[in-house]
Amino acid sequence: MATALPPEAAPVPLIHRRRFRDFATQGVYVAITALVFAYVLVSLDLREFGFTFLNEPAAFNVANQWLVDVDGVTNSRITMYMVGVWSSVRAVMVAIALSTIVGVVVGVARLSNNWLIARLAMLFVEIFRNTPLLVQVVLVYSVFLVGMPLIENVISIGDIVFVSNRGVAIPWPVPNSGLWGAPHWFAGLWVLALLISAVVAMRARARRQELERETGVSQNANRRALILFAAGAVISYVVLGAPVWIDAPIVSGTHYAEGMTIEPEFAALVIGLTLYTGSFIAEVVRAGIQALPRGQTEAANAVGLSAYQRLTLVILPQALRQIIPSVTNQYLNVNKNSSLAYAVLYDDLFRVATIVQNKAGHALEMFFVIIVTYMAISFLLSAVMNFFNSRVTVHEV
Amino acid sequence: MKRLTLLILALFALALAVACEGDDEEGGTVATIQDRGELLCGVKQTQPLFGFKEADGSVVGFDIEFCKAIAAAVLKNANAVEYVDASDASTRFELLADETIDVLIRTTTITASRDRELEVDFAQTTFYTGQGFAVRKDSGYDTTSDMAEATICVQTGTTTEQNVADHFTDIGLTYDPKGGLSADVADAFFSGRCDVLTADASDLASRIAVRPDAADYKILPQIISKEPLAPGVRDNESEWKDVVNWVVHGLIAAEELGITQANVAGMAANPPGTEIARLLGVPFEGGSVSTLGFDSVDAQFIQRAIAAVGNYGEIYARTIGDNIPRACTLNALAIDKSVDCPAGEGGILYALPYR
Amino acid sequence: MAAGMPAQPQQRRIVLPPHRQRAGRPWSVKAREWVRRNLFPSRSGTILTFVALAIIGVLLAGMIWFVFIDADWRVITANRWLLFAGAFPREEAWRLWVSMAFVFTLIGLTYGTWSSLGGKDHFFIAVAGVFVVFLMAHGGAALWSSLWFVVAIGMLYAGYYATVWMPRETSARRTLQVRIVGGLLIAALPIALMLLLAFGGGQMRRLDGFVLNLVLAPVGIAGGLVVAIPLAIGRASSMKAISWTCTTYIEVVRGAPLLGWLFVALFILDDVFPGELIVRAMVVMAVFTGAYMAESIRGALQALPRGQYEAAHSVGLTRLQALRLIILPQALRISIPPIVGQAIAIWKDTTLVTVILPLRELKGNADAAIAQFEFTPFRLEAYVFVALVFWAVAFMMSRISQRLERTLGVGER
Repeated sequence: MATALPPEAAPVPLIHRRRFRDFATQGVYVAITALVFAYVLVSLDLREFGFTFLNEPAAFNVANQWLVDVDGVTNSRITMYMVGVWSSVRAVMVAIALSTIVGVVVGVARLSNNWLIARLAMLFVEIFRNTPLLVQVVLVYSVFLVGMPLIENVISIGDIVFVSNRGVAIPWPVPNSGLWGAPHWFAGLWVLALLISAVVAMRARARRQELERETGVSQNANRRALILFAAGAVISYVVLGAPVWIDAPIVSGTHYAEGMTIEPEFAALVIGLTLYTGSFIAEVVRAGIQALPRGQTEAANAVGLSAYQRLTLVILPQALRQIIPSVTNQYLNVNKNSSLAYAVLYDDLFRVATIVQNKAGHALEMFFVIIVTYMAISFLLSAVMNFFNSRVTVHEV
Repeated sequence: MKRLTLLILALFALALAVACEGDDEEGGTVATIQDRGELLCGVKQTQPLFGFKEADGSVVGFDIEFCKAIAAAVLKNANAVEYVDASDASTRFELLADETIDVLIRTTTITASRDRELEVDFAQTTFYTGQGFAVRKDSGYDTTSDMAEATICVQTGTTTEQNVADHFTDIGLTYDPKGGLSADVADAFFSGRCDVLTADASDLASRIAVRPDAADYKILPQIISKEPLAPGVRDNESEWKDVVNWVVHGLIAAEELGITQANVAGMAANPPGTEIARLLGVPFEGGSVSTLGFDSVDAQFIQRAIAAVGNYGEIYARTIGDNIPRACTLNALAIDKSVDCPAGEGGILYALPYR
Repeated sequence: MAAGMPAQPQQRRIVLPPHRQRAGRPWSVKAREWVRRNLFPSRSGTILTFVALAIIGVLLAGMIWFVFIDADWRVITANRWLLFAGAFPREEAWRLWVSMAFVFTLIGLTYGTWSSLGGKDHFFIAVAGVFVVFLMAHGGAALWSSLWFVVAIGMLYAGYYATVWMPRETSARRTLQVRIVGGLLIAALPIALMLLLAFGGGQMRRLDGFVLNLVLAPVGIAGGLVVAIPLAIGRASSMKAISWTCTTYIEVVRGAPLLGWLFVALFILDDVFPGELIVRAMVVMAVFTGAYMAESIRGALQALPRGQYEAAHSVGLTRLQALRLIILPQALRISIPPIVGQAIAIWKDTTLVTVILPLRELKGNADAAIAQFEFTPFRLEAYVFVALVFWAVAFMMSRISQRLERTLGVGER
């Protein structure tokens, strides 16, 4: 057979060799890309490129500050920008938490045996997934502006919660001088103590569960952990002299004081993001559950689990493997979509950036700052989710 | 299949060509406008009296009349204007710089820093006002010193934003700012979200005057800045700036000289004096023929502007009218009236001599 | 449960009669059974049903109260034209109507060729038609102006029945029909644009109001696909320089929100290629959506079994041929659902041009409508209307995509 081949194959011409062609193609490609890039760089006027303008005084104020108090007259532009970043991050964190809850509940409800519940969940998804987020955000904001009473006619719920179109005021823990005049940083100590007790309690729980698996004797792991945590919290609270107190809001004149105010702008952005993203997460959750083999449900029923146990112990843990990557994507979208704060008087990083650009020019530098900020937040989010993914999901052996 | 692909590609190319037709940049802005046959005028679309969009999609208001006057002067057709939305204060100068608009007539304040740092030049002021504060009558605020911790709505990207920050630093008080688009912050104020709305007094007055519950609001007699509102053009386009400038001066001069939309034709046919004849660009018997046009704009450009929209007083009466009364006294700068009257009647409008 | 086991009296058992008997039972029995199984299966199920009923009751009551009692819809009826076409010249309105009729005919042809109109579709079209006619008739406009919409719907049905009744017993005829309609579909965008703008129709910047949304979205989708396909292939390429730059491009574009890229269109892009702002906005939307679509297509490329590449290679196809004839057709078919998702996203995102650009689409003109002083208190009404319009189109798109998936057999091998 081998003799049928020509005794010596003629050398393949260079032009037909795969490696050469790949090399040549890439060469041409790189040359063209470099040309385009050079053209762009030349057309952009880069003579004044630089970031020193960010250090000049801001000369504008930024609204919706929380836990920070920065005025724009003495502070620099970059400081004001960081205040905007903090506002964005806050909104993104709250919206992610809420939309996850909404998404899981609605996603599970879509698969409910109850016809009405399943239909309601579908209605929710179809409405909020198919409407522009911008319109949702301004709609919620309009409801606040038009639908809520003036602060003069504030709705008081037991003098603890107040609702008006200035926002919702709720009680909030604040540092307190406490029993023997502890300095305010004791509050920080207490938070640290809380964290330590939480870690200790979680470890104890894990140990007890291990024991439970080995011996088969119930160890009440959850109850013991809870008691441990509560004990840690109470003892440190007393030792530090009640460093934190819950502050009820009051209405003083035309604004809220004490407590915490959830401002309508923040609420509109977060509610809009929650409904919109929640409807997407619901679809992800539904798809994740539906991808599981039916046998899982049947097996769970066969061993006599309740519907709740079936969901939390069997279905969701397995579905998470498919859900988490898509949900991470949705979280990154929340981060980017938070720029819609521009439409509702909420001073997020994007709006502050446009204000700076309006005062100082330097659009290219400002865009650079914007995209780096968004990418950094996205990177942090995906890092957290990857960590979570590696810890929580069920691995196939 | 090949032929079909080619056909579709050709269609795309044609559509692209249609989309991008025109607009090659030879000569100055005046030539560009005349080639295009249309003036691109950046205006507000959400402020009552000055510039807002009506139900049929047309834009009306005080600023709009100046766009029409300029179009009449340059293009001999007051309706050859395309109104571009420049409502967002943060992006308006960019629209000018990237030639999306030819002229910005959008209640824009002349300031030194804008003149120096941004790519903008200002023509003659069309409206003199100052920054004021609007509050509800029952709010108990009488001056800014009462406004400690108040929520103040202010348009972002404007001089007013900076003024109010400076002012509160000067009087040593803090406040809670709410910034956004001019229409959005006004909505927030009128729905009770903010205690105070600060903006140009003319802006405040225009928004309050048209409301059914106008009597519930007041504008404080405290003015914290000067806000001369003027048309903006791109830097270093002297001919175009001159045209815009002299159209505005011409309309003011017309009011001083008693030339109206109704009598401009008659006066042009039979001018009563040399000054009017020169303004209207017509010969006067016994005098020399004035030829005060520009390279590409003939000497009758002010006459056309007046014929299209009337003199300054007529524009004012037609668009703003009694909503912001012309007080004709310099002291009026302190209240919700305007000082935009001719100099001879106690106002501060002063047309430069046209000769 | 074994058949011989004695029934326990305290346990409620549902004994189902044999199949044939069940089919013959009266509908009232069947309905009762359905209700019991789907609404009252257990005690907790019953509670859930009542909770759901309460929610539905509150929502329905609130909706009826808002729509028919509280709301004042004059802000919409008086501003119909502003919301629809804004500053588009009135005397050129025929262009809008003709393009609408063209697009509707095409929809009819498409449905007739690849799918069929069901009862739900007729219902949806009827509701939309009645809604538009009602909107036009309300508030004293000339009723005949809604005639155009009725004509367009008529064209939809004309197109549909023209294809349905067309004899297609031979496959050659069928192929011809598919080619004609497919070609029209691909050429629809330039044709519609020319109908709108060519021969004295004015400049791109004349597009305003809802018409602007209707132009921006297809341009973004078509442009996005044009950008996405080479990007996806490039990213999957074995040549390092190409895959690396494509990856960078995709990740950078996806790194910033669309608002950020529109900021670029406004402030930075004018130095790179000057032109009308609206064209720059279109380019940015295509580039933006292209990066997302590229990711979908790349996913599909990776999902294809390796055997496909190897088989193509073994029958002697060159790389380009394999890509064009074997790989891409399959990959594109798989990636239809995510691409349609992206199309819906860009449809919703057309609202963003209002936020920092001076372009006024539907939401922007709703802002202008509530800035008119007689309508300032009616912002809720205006935005609810805008939401409804966007919802209707997005919902229709998602339905069409589901239909498309079924017709093209996505997910089947």
